[in-house]
Amino acid sequence: MFDLINEMWGFAFMQRAFVVTSVLSASVAPVGAFLVLRRLSLAGEAMAHAITPGVVIGFVTAGLSVMSLLIGGLIAGVGVAILTALLARKTILRSDASLASLYLIALASGIFILSAAGSAVPLKSFLFGSILGIDDASMLLVGGVATITLLTFSVLLRPLIVSTCDPVFFESQFKHPWIIDQGFMLLLVLNLLAAFKTLGTLMAVGLMILPATAARYWAATITGQLILGFIFALLSCWIGLTLSYLFPDTPSGPAIVLVAGGIFLISVIFAPHGFGRRLKKTSTKASLVDTQTSKQSTQETRTS
Amino acid sequence: MTKILELRDLALGYPGRTLCQNLSFDIESGTTLAVLGANGSGKSTFVKMLLGLLPQLSGEAHWPQGRPREVGYLAQMTEFDRRFPIRVRDLAAMGAWRGFGLWGGLDKAGRRRVAAALDEAGVWDIADQPLHTLSGGQLQRTLFARVILQDAPLILLDEPFAAVDQSTEAHLLTIIERWRDEGRAVVLVIHDLSSVLDHCTHALLLGDDTATYGMVDDVLTPERLVAQKYMSESQASWMFRKATNPVAEELADV
Repeated sequence: MFDLINEMWGFAFMQRAFVVTSVLSASVAPVGAFLVLRRLSLAGEAMAHAITPGVVIGFVTAGLSVMSLLIGGLIAGVGVAILTALLARKTILRSDASLASLYLIALASGIFILSAAGSAVPLKSFLFGSILGIDDASMLLVGGVATITLLTFSVLLRPLIVSTCDPVFFESQFKHPWIIDQGFMLLLVLNLLAAFKTLGTLMAVGLMILPATAARYWAATITGQLILGFIFALLSCWIGLTLSYLFPDTPSGPAIVLVAGGIFLISVIFAPHGFGRRLKKTSTKASLVDTQTSKQSTQETRTS
Repeated sequence: MTKILELRDLALGYPGRTLCQNLSFDIESGTTLAVLGANGSGKSTFVKMLLGLLPQLSGEAHWPQGRPREVGYLAQMTEFDRRFPIRVRDLAAMGAWRGFGLWGGLDKAGRRRVAAALDEAGVWDIADQPLHTLSGGQLQRTLFARVILQDAPLILLDEPFAAVDQSTEAHLLTIIERWRDEGRAVVLVIHDLSSVLDHCTHALLLGDDTATYGMVDDVLTPERLVAQKYMSESQASWMFRKATNPVAEELADV
């Protein structure tokens, strides 16, 4: 086992992957927490798909550089977010239906353009990520996005908490509440782009949502939610990368998200806000019944 | 009593649909204004206008002292997320968040204020409980603690007793009376006429495209309540019936 870990650490690309995903975990954890708390989990998933055409067009026109990925993805992500808001406000469709329609169009056109352009990059690595593709520029992108995200959260945390918990009260307190909503969506798009190379477009949001939903089962406070979400994301990345190394044909994205899924399932069963409390109650009841039965049998023995 | 807000010929509603018009009155400090009306008559729209969330269709709203920096507000609980992972004391402390800014924590004096507000609202003993464990009454008491901490000259309460029992309502009404005695103006969207008669100084009755404002006894007459479609004639005659029960009359004499 230790030999294997030593061997894995011997490769520069694995070292990069571990560093990048660790920084990424710190960045996506707060975004994921608020996606879940703001009931935007599915919107996050949709947005991950929506950035695909921008990334693909950037790639087809300027090659697989970090700048093309960033600019293309930002234009597509922000464009879809604005169009969604516009459709929801000016037409009969609600925002979920608007976003679902737009992301499907975006995803289909992204895959179509990528296939039609005869890409040299395999579709699988686009969709599911590859730890081999992490270069210096990708590391800078993740580091930059993590810095922006954590700095922004240090300012927006309290307004985000108030606006998520009690949006009507927040509107009465804050002159421009839309700044918080749009600022948060921008952070979401940036983090999806940062996660893109390691996890791929289809899996990027997995590292945000699953650690956050797992943490939700344990945490009673927002601080606990943020810290646990980060720890779960970090564990998912480390174990997932090791799995991806052990099984060379498996892309890193699904491996990481699968581990996060395992943590989620464990949390559902054992955590206090999942079935854990129920299990505890059942076992307490059972032990009470056992105690009563043994008392009765002792009395019966004494009587006889 | 000082004027906090002057309303002149105000019309409220949404583009293409006027909910109420000809609102001309002043909101003064040390008063409790009950806002009554049937569903859809514009009560919440009126509150939203006072909060600055909705512009008036026409007319003028003037703040003689300038718009207060803080307006206390308790919304209807429909959009509140009860599963959000925070404790009772944190929810209440949101009322004082302007005081401690974006990064700072609560200092000793701030913590004392939060404790005092929770104590007055009757939820100090559950200050560390998460929100999802609270009953409707406990949550409403916590939200009242948040309004206490807002320390605002104008307080807007939108159906504050919709999901609480009688004893909680009585307790929260004492807090509203304290606010009035301190010289704050309280605007209260409410349905229970007996609470209005006992605890409010002024009333605004909305309905049938008109608005009636005045002292509570002048506004809450059976004729007016029926005319503005707040209640039917039979309801009004039952509610404003004279005591005919001899035991009740005897008790009244005593």
